[in-house]
Amino acid sequence: MAACTVYSTQSLSTNCSISTPSKTQFSFHQKQVVFYTTGRRNSKRGSNSGRSYVITCAASDQQTVVIGLAADSGCGKSTFMRRLTSVFGGAAEPPKGGNPDSNTLISDTTTVICLDDYHSLDRTGRKEKGVTALDPRANDFDLMYEQVKAIKDGISVEKPIYNHVTGLLDPPELIKPPKILVIEGLHPMFDSRVRDLLDFSIYLDISNEVKFAWKIQRDMAERGHSLESIKASIEARKPDFEAYIDPQKQYADAVIEVLPTQLIPDDNEGKILRVRLIQKEGVKNFSPVYLFDDGSTISWIPCGRKLTCSYPGIKFSYGPDTYYGNEVSIVEMDGQFDRLDELIYVESHLSNLSTKFYGEVTQQMLKHADFPGSNNGTGLFQTIVGLKIRDLYEQIIASRAETPVAAKA
Amino acid sequence: RIRPVRAAPDKISEKVEESIKQAQEACAGDPTSGECVAAWDEVEELSAAASHARDKQKEKDSDPLENYCKDNPETIECKTFDD
Repeated sequence: MAACTVYSTQSLSTNCSISTPSKTQFSFHQKQVVFYTTGRRNSKRGSNSGRSYVITCAASDQQTVVIGLAADSGCGKSTFMRRLTSVFGGAAEPPKGGNPDSNTLISDTTTVICLDDYHSLDRTGRKEKGVTALDPRANDFDLMYEQVKAIKDGISVEKPIYNHVTGLLDPPELIKPPKILVIEGLHPMFDSRVRDLLDFSIYLDISNEVKFAWKIQRDMAERGHSLESIKASIEARKPDFEAYIDPQKQYADAVIEVLPTQLIPDDNEGKILRVRLIQKEGVKNFSPVYLFDDGSTISWIPCGRKLTCSYPGIKFSYGPDTYYGNEVSIVEMDGQFDRLDELIYVESHLSNLSTKFYGEVTQQMLKHADFPGSNNGTGLFQTIVGLKIRDLYEQIIASRAETPVAAKA
Repeated sequence: RIRPVRAAPDKISEKVEESIKQAQEACAGDPTSGECVAAWDEVEELSAAASHARDKQKEKDSDPLENYCKDNPETIECKTFDD
């Protein structure tokens, strides 16, 4: 006999039906109550009373869509998150009234959880064992899998909080199932069980040169930091990064690769970037963006009468390629915009953007002109991936609505 | 129940400084030891936390009127009407 618990949430609307062998059917749609059966969707109960009931429960149009975002610390995950939540509308804020050092962000549609919360060792623990946070031994993948799975199935969880200031594991916070759950951190695609739960996955791949330049920008003003300390920190974490984090990019549906520019010979300032959006082919509900003609190889310099560019200009490329044995389409942008509103000219030549109206990419970029990367390919491709995720979400919801809830006797 | 309070940004700065010193000491003997690597990882974690705290503070300070209006939406400077 399976155990049934009645479970209540605020935002989940469910579609449940209870059927008896006498073909009487009760269907109801309501906002507050979810019948949740542990383990299996279908459970028989009450067989001892002579009548058996079958409770079929599918939170059909409201199952959570799970997105994974992998990147090293200090590589712009939070900027990406802000762009993504903005595409869905509404601002993402930390949970109200809870732990002020919570890493979670919640908006109307989206909840973002930071996977650092699944550290099994706190800061002292890692120091004693001599492992970094990048090391799988410092992370609890069993709990990560269980809780992400529970949220995907529409069940709230008590998730721990890793406090980045104190380095301790704080008391847990309640996470309710949202429409879209984003899990961001170092290892969203490391464990195969967690990987299989993801509806879409993104990897932010920052080259070593750019990472160094960004960390200098971030840390030089900090007391105690010097060029040497920044370099030492990057070098010390490198072996673990290459062993455990970097290999995850082969599983990503989209990789945003950030490299030094090729427009200026021997540039090492890291101000002008060459950004590549590597999109896997054949992913369900995701059709890659292309430039001019799908499947061709194209190089395009938009600067001229219609687009003002100062030195060193802008160069786009597009073409098919292979990436870790997978067929991919790559759109690349090298250089930066001087005037953001002229981005509309570039947008009009990109196809398959999944925008709802002409100019939506430009409008989203203008809305957050103050975010880092708004004048180069990082902001552009992050915005595009945001629109792609919205499209994917809408397709998943639409396909679920078509499938009727099956009630088996 | 005691409500936890967010640590002040300058307190994190102190921690960053301290952690760098510790990392340099831990690495003096063997630069590839687990102890050394974990110490630099702590530096990275604290530097990221410090940078987040700075960004948050900057956002807070960026618009004094917006800040004031959050607490005093009924004042004449802050009233907005949709129609």
